[in-house]
Amino acid sequence: MEEMIAQFGNQWFGAAWPSLWLVIWTLIKIIAIVAPLLLSVAYLTYAERKVLGYMHSRLGPNRVGPWGLVQPIADGLKLLLKEIICPSWANRRLYFIAPTLAFAPALAVWAVVPFSDALVLANIDASLLYVLAIGSMSVYGVVLAGWASNSKYAFLGSMRAAAQIVSYEIAMGFALVAVLMVSGSLNLTEIVHMQQKGWFAERGLSFLSWNWLPLLPLFVVYFISGVAETNRAPFDVAEGESEIVAGFHIDYSGMAFAIFFLAEYTEMILVAVLTSLIFLGGWDAPFAGLPDSAWWLIGKACLMLFFFLWFRASFPRYRYDHIMRLGWKVFIPLTVVWIFVVGIWMLTPWNIWK
Amino acid sequence: MRALKHFIRSFTLWELLQGLAVTGRYFFTRKVTVRYPEEKTPQGFRFRGLHALRRYPDGEERCIACKLCEAVCPTKAITIELAERDDGSRRTTRYDIDLGKCVFCGFCEEACPVEAIVETRVLEYCGRTRSDLYYSKEKLLANGERHAATIDADKALDAKYR
Amino acid sequence: MLEIEINGKKAEVPEGSTVIEAAQLSGVYIPHFCYHKKLSIAASCRMCLVEVEKSARPLPACATPVTNGMKVFTHSALAVKAQQSVMEFLLINHPLDCPVCDQGGECLLQDVAVGYGSAKSCFAEKKHVTKGKNAGSLISMREMSRCIHCTRCVRFGEEIAGIMELGMAYRSAHSEITTFLGRAIESELSGNLTDVCPVGALTSKPFRYTARSWELTSHRSISPHDSIGANITVQTRAGRVMRVLPHENEAVNECWLSDKDRFSYTALHTEERLTKPMLKQGGEWREVSWNDALDYVAHGLKDIAASAGNDALAALAAPWASVEELYLLQKLMRGLGSDNVDCRPRRRDFSLDGKHAGATWLGMKIADLRHLESVLVVGSFLHKDHPLLTQRLRHAVQKHHAEINILSVTDEDPKLALHTRQTVRPSELLYALAAVVREAAKIKGVSMPELASVPENESARKIATSLMNAGSKAVLLGHVAEQADTAGLLHQLGLRLAELTGANFGFLGEAANSVGGQLLGLGEKAKMNAHQMFANPRQAYFLFGLEPELDVANPVKTVAALKAAKMVVLATPFKHAPALQYADALLPLAAFTETSGTYVNIEGCAQSFAGAASPSGESRPGWKILRVLANALDLPGFAFESSEEVLREAWREAGVKVDAEGYVSGLDNKLTHAPELKLPSSAQLREGELERIADVPIYMTDPTVRRAAPLQETPASASPKARASAATLKKLGLAAEDAVVVRQDGGEARLTLALDEGVPEGCLRVAAGHPATSALGGMFAPISVERA
Repeated sequence: MEEMIAQFGNQWFGAAWPSLWLVIWTLIKIIAIVAPLLLSVAYLTYAERKVLGYMHSRLGPNRVGPWGLVQPIADGLKLLLKEIICPSWANRRLYFIAPTLAFAPALAVWAVVPFSDALVLANIDASLLYVLAIGSMSVYGVVLAGWASNSKYAFLGSMRAAAQIVSYEIAMGFALVAVLMVSGSLNLTEIVHMQQKGWFAERGLSFLSWNWLPLLPLFVVYFISGVAETNRAPFDVAEGESEIVAGFHIDYSGMAFAIFFLAEYTEMILVAVLTSLIFLGGWDAPFAGLPDSAWWLIGKACLMLFFFLWFRASFPRYRYDHIMRLGWKVFIPLTVVWIFVVGIWMLTPWNIWK
Repeated sequence: MRALKHFIRSFTLWELLQGLAVTGRYFFTRKVTVRYPEEKTPQGFRFRGLHALRRYPDGEERCIACKLCEAVCPTKAITIELAERDDGSRRTTRYDIDLGKCVFCGFCEEACPVEAIVETRVLEYCGRTRSDLYYSKEKLLANGERHAATIDADKALDAKYR
Repeated sequence: MLEIEINGKKAEVPEGSTVIEAAQLSGVYIPHFCYHKKLSIAASCRMCLVEVEKSARPLPACATPVTNGMKVFTHSALAVKAQQSVMEFLLINHPLDCPVCDQGGECLLQDVAVGYGSAKSCFAEKKHVTKGKNAGSLISMREMSRCIHCTRCVRFGEEIAGIMELGMAYRSAHSEITTFLGRAIESELSGNLTDVCPVGALTSKPFRYTARSWELTSHRSISPHDSIGANITVQTRAGRVMRVLPHENEAVNECWLSDKDRFSYTALHTEERLTKPMLKQGGEWREVSWNDALDYVAHGLKDIAASAGNDALAALAAPWASVEELYLLQKLMRGLGSDNVDCRPRRRDFSLDGKHAGATWLGMKIADLRHLESVLVVGSFLHKDHPLLTQRLRHAVQKHHAEINILSVTDEDPKLALHTRQTVRPSELLYALAAVVREAAKIKGVSMPELASVPENESARKIATSLMNAGSKAVLLGHVAEQADTAGLLHQLGLRLAELTGANFGFLGEAANSVGGQLLGLGEKAKMNAHQMFANPRQAYFLFGLEPELDVANPVKTVAALKAAKMVVLATPFKHAPALQYADALLPLAAFTETSGTYVNIEGCAQSFAGAASPSGESRPGWKILRVLANALDLPGFAFESSEEVLREAWREAGVKVDAEGYVSGLDNKLTHAPELKLPSSAQLREGELERIADVPIYMTDPTVRRAAPLQETPASASPKARASAATLKKLGLAAEDAVVVRQDGGEARLTLALDEGVPEGCLRVAAGHPATSALGGMFAPISVERA
């Protein structure tokens, strides 16, 4: 197959073919990641409504298609067909750039996410740094959306979102520092590989060798920060409808709104996948004897996503000042302390990460 | 001691876990959703749906135009005009209910001394314009005739409580 | 004052009052049915039973006089038990048909049953059912089973209406209120029965099954139908008048209302209402916009004034037009340069114009009529023209044994006990009154040479004696006296008699605003009065609120003048069919319930009223029409924003002061310079001619009343007959029930003859104001009759 393509390419493009093929092959891979991702975003919304419904003792979507399975398609179609309204005093250019700025970083991060040993678009050394760097970019989309809408509500929402994302970025970063320390690498594949080794892994209980157990507080902090980072309940003050109606995207409609929506859910999936990679062993099977596979990663990410939805069903929204207090006065000190604990632990004879 | 307990509780996220447990439990309970047109909830015989004007078995309309329903109606949805009929009896010449205003409180039924205006069990009706929801005397009498059997049965069930 | 204790509270009450009055004074309500403050006490319903200390059994509060130190308990166990038991008895035969009963919601029995009754009844037998009766077109007696036998209606008939038309037949449980021999109720005060009846047995027939009391909005207003200006409550639903009730005013109508006032509202929403301005264009009537109509009228009036002189314009207003309307009409005509404005269409004698010291009025307060001891009423169809004033006189007779003397042209029974009555021919009214004056002078010892030729008679002596001997007395002139062609002399004689006897001299009043018109100087100060403007035909006429065939003294001359005129504008609430022949423009006028205005009644009380309902169709209040017409004519000084502004200017211009209670200044029945009292020699009738006696039937007095269907169905509105006494008939060689043609002033009417011994010999009574006789001429003029 590969030979056939190469032959065909050489015949037509000659010497330019290898570099051209690289571009084509990369594009194919990008599509292979993005297309299922968007589909999963669609069904994440479906899952969210189903889960929330079940937790409310109701059924959730059940009208469109069997068990309501076509619901997300219908929603998407509706949003596609809706008019995109631009407020007359809005900054038109920024107004339409903002959703793109929110969505693009959320997709770009996926370039370095490994799905299994070999299954990764760009296996770069500093992939964790890349994740942090690009992940923080999404705040621009939110801030610009709030600013460009020229509405008090949207502006307040974007301010809140910006402050919140920046704050929890720090706690998140500190949590990852400890992971770096124990892994000794910034490469996500390496981090997963590190978790496959250990005292428990040798005895067949590899799930106890994963980072979540020795770094439990950091795992919790990381995941909660991830929830806050994605502006999900209970940290969704940026769109607190009782105070500022819908926050930064209040003036967006139709597809412009849908893109914010996509960005939010893509980020949710991202956070879930990263958590799985960093703390839950990625594609590593939980018990010896089971084959390692990308499905394990997907399963773990789904579990994390379920937690996202479970939180939303369970907890009331935080007050804004409580969110800031939690981020700055609880999580940051906690992670700093735990970094010291891990550091000291690594210097002791009981170091498990050799 | 108490402070310590509080410290431990908050750091183990105990209360949050309790909250998650509640929603988690509900995740598995039986769902109460009724899948309406296929499934329907049971109706009581005092169900207050679409209005109807009743007739006596001999075909004479019951309404005597006493206007009590009009007076008691909290949303002023009922409009009645009356006149003496040729046989000297007191009858309505107009009996309109604006279902766009009606709140289905059932006061009209309660106020009626001759059980002429009733609320049937019918709840599946609709209109595309406001005027579709403006029920005239003819429409109400027709409702009464259409659902006469159900209304009579329901009234019989209710009779012993009156 | 007596001191008593009611429910433990001390109270001082006047001597002679009953317990129920005492309770009312101290704010304690005692339930009652048969008791009515204006009626005698029957104590038949027993609802007002109260406990009185030292009395073994409960006593009826309405019939128990108060004694000093009496202790009354209205809520003690004994009283409550008595009230509940009575209520149970009253409800035994009362049908439970409140939902179909018109009284429902304003029923005394309902209220008292809820407040004082008990929920249970021991009565399990069959209820007694009473058959309904037909009581005519005004009162519904269909559901007599509802009657609780309080007999208020019977007492009302005897004491207020003066005629017992209802009575209690049979005994005990079978007793029932019934009309006599199935006759309809004919009293002109019959509508009050519906107010008097505490239950739904006697209800208003026109109002029957039309609305409920709780959905009606009440507005105060003034009745435009007679000279006392009865206070009314106009009740409307959704901007439409549903009924009229009395508004209690002790000074004017007490709690009563004449049927005319009560039922005239039925004319307001008939087919005949004029709802759009109409113009005659090319011989055809078209509905036009107000702008076009007023443009046309303004241009027409201007053109005629320019081509034929200002004097070619004339305006005649109805005496039931409000002060505001009369004032604006006068101002408008004067603005056009014409002084020909009048509001006295039925008058014939204007000889005293310019000699009045003030506006003529009753000379006393209406409420004081009941204290009179001797009254002489000259020339009046008393109870037909003035139902409520007659009721006051009736009270004077019943309570104070007043002596009522009537000097008139027919012998109709005003339903009160008369002392003396003298019925004379209209032309002889003058001499009959002169005879009384002469007798009075004789008793007083004053010589009156100018009356020496007047023949003496017995009744004149009796009347004079009665007047001389009484303490409080009055000489009152009625419609006939005011509308006769000897009105000026009758006025002078009346004044003379009042001077001699010390009696009050006054007029019963022609219409709702006759006094107001006089105060404004309408007609009296005009260049041409109501008679002259038609006797010397003008080119343009503005008629306001009246219908010429029916509302003027001489329809033949009037209509001839109107037909000859270049332009006739008629402002009227109704599409008056005959006017379509000669009018050029019809302007729709708001009815009395739809406009604001002021009437000055016969005792000089200026009563203002506001609109109760919205004007029908495009009709507009008269003052607004006149104001806008004046604007279209470019006349200055018409920038009025409200009828109050008009009224203020009218009173200022007329120099009339209105006191805090609404009474106006400028009333005086005296004359500034009385002409010499010289009686003409009695007029001789030509061969074959009779003297016409023209009454205006009670329900034909104005356009609104004429169109009130229920009133037109009463016996009083039956088509008029030519009435004459047997002697007259014999002389004519005719018999009763003969079809005849009566002729007058070139007009003729076909009528049936009727025998009426009350008509003086040589007279023929032919009603005026009726379409059947509208082709005839003067009201009290010679008339000829022959077999048809």
